[in-house]
Amino acid sequence: MTHLTSDELIDAMDGLLGADRQAHLDSCDTCRQQLAGLSSVLAEAKQASVPDPSPMFWQHFSARVNTAIDAEGAGESAWPSWLRWQVLLPLGVVAMIILALMISVPKNDPAVDEQAAVALEAPAPSDNWLMVANLVGEIDLDDAAEAGVVVQPGLAERAVLELTAEEQQELTRLLKAELTRAKS
Amino acid sequence: MPHDSAIAITPWTWPEVTTPLAELDDTALVSAARAGNREAFDVIVERHRRVVYQVCYRFVNNHEDASDLAQDAFVRAWKGLKTFRSEAALSTWLHRIAVNVCLNRVSARTPVTEPIASTDHFEDVRIEGAQHTMIREQRAVAVRAAIACLPKKQRATLILRTYHDMSHQQIADTLGSSVGAVKANFFHALANLKKILGNEP
Repeated sequence: MTHLTSDELIDAMDGLLGADRQAHLDSCDTCRQQLAGLSSVLAEAKQASVPDPSPMFWQHFSARVNTAIDAEGAGESAWPSWLRWQVLLPLGVVAMIILALMISVPKNDPAVDEQAAVALEAPAPSDNWLMVANLVGEIDLDDAAEAGVVVQPGLAERAVLELTAEEQQELTRLLKAELTRAKS
Repeated sequence: MPHDSAIAITPWTWPEVTTPLAELDDTALVSAARAGNREAFDVIVERHRRVVYQVCYRFVNNHEDASDLAQDAFVRAWKGLKTFRSEAALSTWLHRIAVNVCLNRVSARTPVTEPIASTDHFEDVRIEGAQHTMIREQRAVAVRAAIACLPKKQRATLILRTYHDMSHQQIADTLGSSVGAVKANFFHALANLKKILGNEP
């Protein structure tokens, strides 16, 4: 009969060996010696206790853990994980455009006569786009790339999805007006 | 005219907790800690710090690294409290975290080939009192150093099986391996330990 395998020797140490293999162990000096050697070193390992640290170490241990937890918490961003510069940048660009459009729309001024007010109520979309073009016209694409403000593919679409319904409606209106003007 | 029957309005306060945290069991402490109660987590740390430290110490065999690893294990435990399943023992869960912290942080070491110490010179010698204690401690130092030289998986298996009475199945779950692999690692750990300690004929 073959000698005990490593698995069977571990089972033998736990007293879980099957009857036939136990019969082999009882009659085999080689397996018995091997088992005795393993049991001996295990018994010796069990006696090797860990030296206890000083009481002062334990007094400060909880404080160390708390400090480490606080440090980990401070390291984590308060911003939601999806809200990173890759999203914030195109959102910022869109926000700037909308802000520029809002500034360009004249406010109701009681001093202005009714006729002038009517004329100012609906400025031509082309004027808005012209102003945006003037604002960014002097920025070279290479300069923009160097400054890290070039929008990566897909991010503008994601930014548009973040707009409110009113903002999306306004953006649609502006794009349609610009396309109509370009065709004519 | 004011009358005496006016209802006195007192501000609402949290109900007073009559049971001190230190007297709560692990399950109640985990629930409180999950709700953000850091004092409850402090009690958990205080209750289990020694065992977690011992797991780490056996891995690295020095106080400095063991204290850092034990601290890291508790930080991870705090962050992972939501994943703790209350039907499992908190101590087993903390063992698992400590072992995984050790496995991730401790570099694999090559077992030493020279025997660290031999038992031959003090076998059959009757030594009493302090002298006997000193020799026993020297032998413990040699055993701890030998364990720290074992390959990581063998070390983890030996530590959990020998000092924390975990079953082969629990060790397999902790290390993400099979029961067969755990038994093989345990066998090789003992065989290597025997070789390192110079017990090999």
